[in-house]
Amino acid sequence: MLTYDVLIVGSGGAGLYAALKSRMEEDLHVAVLTKVYPTRSHTGAAQGGVNAALANKDRTDTWEDHWFDTVKGSDYLADQDAAELMCREAPQVIREMEHWGCPFDRTKEGKIAQRPFGGASKIRACYAADKIGHVMLHTLYEQGLRHGVNYFNEWQTLSLLHDGQRCLGVNALDIRSGKLHTIQAKAVILATGGYGRIFWTRTSNAYGNTGDGAALAYRAGLALKDMEFVQFHPTGLRRTGILMTEGARGEGGYLLNALGERFMSNYAPEKMELGPRDLVSRAIETEVREGRGGSDGEVFLDITHLGKERIAKRLPQIRQLCIDFEGVDPVLEPIPIKPTAHYSMGGIHTDFNGLTPIEGIYAAGEAGCVSVHGANRLGGNSLLDILVFGRRAGVHALEYARHTEFKPMPKEALAPAETCIKALTDGDSKETIADIRKDMGDLMAEKAGIYRDAAGLTQAVAGLVELKARYKRLKIKDKSNIFNTELGAALELGNMLDLAQVIAQGALERAESRGAHYREDFTKRDDKEWLKHTLATRNSDETPKLHFEPVTITRFQPEARTY
Amino acid sequence: MNNNDDKLHYAFYSGCCFQGADARFFEILEQVFDKVDVKLHLMPEAVCCGAGVIEERSELTSLAINARNMAGAEKMGLPFYTPCSTCYNVISNCQKRLQEDPKLFEQVNEILAEDGIEYKGDCKLTHTLWMLAQDVGLTKLRERITNPLNGLRVGSYYGCHTRNPSDIQNYESSDNPTSLEDILEVLGVEVVDYDTRDDCCGYHLTWPNKDLSLKMTGSVLGGAQKQNVDLMVTSCPLCFKNLDGAQTKALAATKQDFQLPVLFLPELVGLACGMSPQDMKLDWHAVPVHVRL
Amino acid sequence: MTEKITPIREKMLANIRIQRFTPGDDRSSYFDNFKVQVETGMTVLEVLRHIKNTQDSTLTFRAFCRSAICGSCTVRVNANSVLACSTQLLPIIKDFGKASVTITPMANLPVIRDLVVDIDPVIEKLAKMHPYLMENRERIPETLEQESLMSKKELKQFDSLTDCILCGACFSACSTVKVDETYAGPLTIAKAYRFSIDPRDSFRGMRIQASMDQGLWSCVQCRKCLKVCPKDIRPADSIRQMRRIAIDDGIHDTAGSRRAKAYTDDVEKFGQVNKPMLPVVVNGTKGWTAIEAGEAALEKHGLAPTRQVCTLPGQEGAAKIYAKVREIEKKEKAREQQ
Repeated sequence: MLTYDVLIVGSGGAGLYAALKSRMEEDLHVAVLTKVYPTRSHTGAAQGGVNAALANKDRTDTWEDHWFDTVKGSDYLADQDAAELMCREAPQVIREMEHWGCPFDRTKEGKIAQRPFGGASKIRACYAADKIGHVMLHTLYEQGLRHGVNYFNEWQTLSLLHDGQRCLGVNALDIRSGKLHTIQAKAVILATGGYGRIFWTRTSNAYGNTGDGAALAYRAGLALKDMEFVQFHPTGLRRTGILMTEGARGEGGYLLNALGERFMSNYAPEKMELGPRDLVSRAIETEVREGRGGSDGEVFLDITHLGKERIAKRLPQIRQLCIDFEGVDPVLEPIPIKPTAHYSMGGIHTDFNGLTPIEGIYAAGEAGCVSVHGANRLGGNSLLDILVFGRRAGVHALEYARHTEFKPMPKEALAPAETCIKALTDGDSKETIADIRKDMGDLMAEKAGIYRDAAGLTQAVAGLVELKARYKRLKIKDKSNIFNTELGAALELGNMLDLAQVIAQGALERAESRGAHYREDFTKRDDKEWLKHTLATRNSDETPKLHFEPVTITRFQPEARTY
Repeated sequence: MNNNDDKLHYAFYSGCCFQGADARFFEILEQVFDKVDVKLHLMPEAVCCGAGVIEERSELTSLAINARNMAGAEKMGLPFYTPCSTCYNVISNCQKRLQEDPKLFEQVNEILAEDGIEYKGDCKLTHTLWMLAQDVGLTKLRERITNPLNGLRVGSYYGCHTRNPSDIQNYESSDNPTSLEDILEVLGVEVVDYDTRDDCCGYHLTWPNKDLSLKMTGSVLGGAQKQNVDLMVTSCPLCFKNLDGAQTKALAATKQDFQLPVLFLPELVGLACGMSPQDMKLDWHAVPVHVRL
Repeated sequence: MTEKITPIREKMLANIRIQRFTPGDDRSSYFDNFKVQVETGMTVLEVLRHIKNTQDSTLTFRAFCRSAICGSCTVRVNANSVLACSTQLLPIIKDFGKASVTITPMANLPVIRDLVVDIDPVIEKLAKMHPYLMENRERIPETLEQESLMSKKELKQFDSLTDCILCGACFSACSTVKVDETYAGPLTIAKAYRFSIDPRDSFRGMRIQASMDQGLWSCVQCRKCLKVCPKDIRPADSIRQMRRIAIDDGIHDTAGSRRAKAYTDDVEKFGQVNKPMLPVVVNGTKGWTAIEAGEAALEKHGLAPTRQVCTLPGQEGAAKIYAKVREIEKKEKAREQQ
């Protein structure tokens, strides 16, 4: 049996930081289990920046300003002690990354450069051109190679093992050989990222952002927190959901419906296209609902009037993205866009060290929920979250593993994994992954997406039960053991369906609008009833059971969130 | 320069590949191009492009001497023609770099001022394939064919340095170039596809790593031989030198045994335009060219 | 005045020919043909996914971010190494002039199944290059109270190299890897170079050695890696630069270093490379055999052999350029050392 002191599931920024920290003194055996290769993780897709009050650009910036911006951005659902900790530690983790070679852009004085960001009161986002996530991910991977972190590439984790008090390890599938393994570990850190793919094609997320870690934890009896909060970005490319950043609108781009009308005049006559993200997303959704969208439910981002020269000079990357991914040259025609699910605020319920109620089981990054993002994440805080809490989880797991013995692994540990695979492979059925997945995405986007109400969410909850029943009948056609990507997709779909139920249920019960959660039947924030976290555990009939816990408020009393 | 005739005039950059026994190609190129109304004018001040190797000591030197080479053609008011793919590659790379970086452009011109030269940056670069296919044109070429080479099975070989990277292209697709095949079809031959057509011949490893160079050469030749071609044709003099001159060693190194004649494209054009194998000095080839031509 | 938006969309029925291979099913690799309605905007990856979703769910390929940043989906389309996710299909069909494209796995790596190759050989070669920053304590502070300082100019030297996504397209296209499986491949040398010129690093010598051990001078400069790199990091140029810093740091005793010296010095001295003597200059006494063979060939055709090329008329001007560049480079070096 494979045995590690600390095992990290997931190889994005949080996972790799945790791995590196727990391996730093090179006394423990540390491994990273990833269904891709580490440098392919979705952290690499983050473009804009990472917040830290270094005050390199604006000397008046302090971690407290950052703290307030974070809390306000969260629509007061973030735990203020957790947000405080993150903002205090931010400069240190950024400097640690820098010392490891991360190529941040530089100021004239040679310090780490910072740029302004939406929702931030000061110039605070550290950046590296448009590739900050990419260079952070690679830096962490490189240092992991240096310090002897083991990487299990292309292994898919199937279940989390514990005895009710302590962590035992995981069951995982070696995708290349098709073999199942139990891996024993004193500590397991789940760092598998978000669950944007629940909206299937309407997301900016990678194909693999299917919430695997959260689903593993949920099925292992752990609680998920605030899962109903999913941030949408108004402008993703029609075909792929790839983000068109605010830059295009900032430069003077128009949003047009299929009739060619500049519709934002009906929603935000003053700010027009530069209104807040959630408002723009809802405006687009309304246009499409009322039949003024294109044939694929898209609207258009038009920059043709800027002219070829200005586009080439100011928006070259946006132009290239459109040509490469959409086959559209924005110099010549409007860009087809749709709102796209961008970030999952919710995740596995943990404390400040990423620790769950089970000793030795941790979660960090987008997979976890401390919570620092509350109902809506501040731009530039997602990368910070993975660094700070990946690091904390790594440090804590290291200390824990140093002072803990392995617990014996029950003989039958692998059996549930074998059963799970068998259920998907043995036999035939008419159901296909592609069909169920598409139906799930459509259902979630229509009933539990940008606009939500009690009727729609009730339909979503019922629809998901049906989809789960269909999933239970699903048999994959690919019977090969070797690199069976159909099997991988089936496992991911199972994970997404579990989480979708939690999202829909949470959204149904939360009878208010807060941050990214917008109820047409309860359009106001309701601090009296709903200033609390949603926690979900799993009933024996596989439906979610919700309870609520108070939000920690230490300094900032809730006020209206206006910008 | 007298451009008031019906001829196409080019500033001729010979590069360094026509030394020794290859000096004959000066004469051959002049004769062959005369058949299609092309007149070459040697650039008096040109020096070797450095084949990219000088960049392993000093990139700035490489850029400056090649800007100087281009300035020579600019001064003559003629397009810059080189028969050598590597010269084309290195010099067009220089042109791109200076185009994209105004500061570098300025710095290089400061350097050239030492020699009283200015590089303006409007020099048009071309090589044999594009000159024939684009400037001369296939129609004119077809008119001048007196000895169509029907029935000959030919493996066409571009080599690397007119194709890679894509941004040095100004005529055709880098992924699917057709100029060589277009020209060959006009000459009357049957173009045969083979699976090592796009591989590198290995010439530029001749000095640092002969063994690998021979492996590459042998592999390219072997691929063509498998398709039973009568001969291979390339427009690049370095590929030619390698595929012909190093053929015996390359085949020995890759445990193959055959003789595959290789022709330099202008030679084949000359033959199709009625010149004799003697005119083309085919007996100078390392691998005997004993096919019916 | 508003006008209804009608997107320009072309459609075409295309034949997608895909190389298949499953270990253990007693067949060597073969091709399957799929008919797909290809339209404006469709990437190679979308076509592959469309086939998997609607025609054959066993079709196996890698894909993850679908936005050209993770480097998972490298395949060859009509023999050209590309990222499937950022490659539009219609322009390729038009370029090749036929409604059929062939998709094969990356070259130079063992195939695991269908379009999935084993990329580990690349990672193993990369790992040997010490591909991580080793702190230069003159630049990097001991504590996390400060960041190290680095000028914009210093960053610019290697910044574009940090765009590398390890997709392996260059490795797949590499002419040298094709004939020498011990060769490092373009991306690994580019990565070694990236760290070697980072002023915060202290491990340059080790990386020069590591890259020499893995064939620094075996790159043939075919420039294919430049063409296929989806991030335009120009690996072959980095290889030239890696050779340059190796020579700068005292690596003079290799055939490649000697060639570089000969070319550079000869062009200054003669205006061209003294090719007749190159075999001996580069390879020492064993080069004489090549020289003698060359001379015999010349004599056969009635030409007088020579051991020194003539000096070209342009040499004098070129020498002035050399002198000026040296002056500039000297100044630059002095400024850096300050």
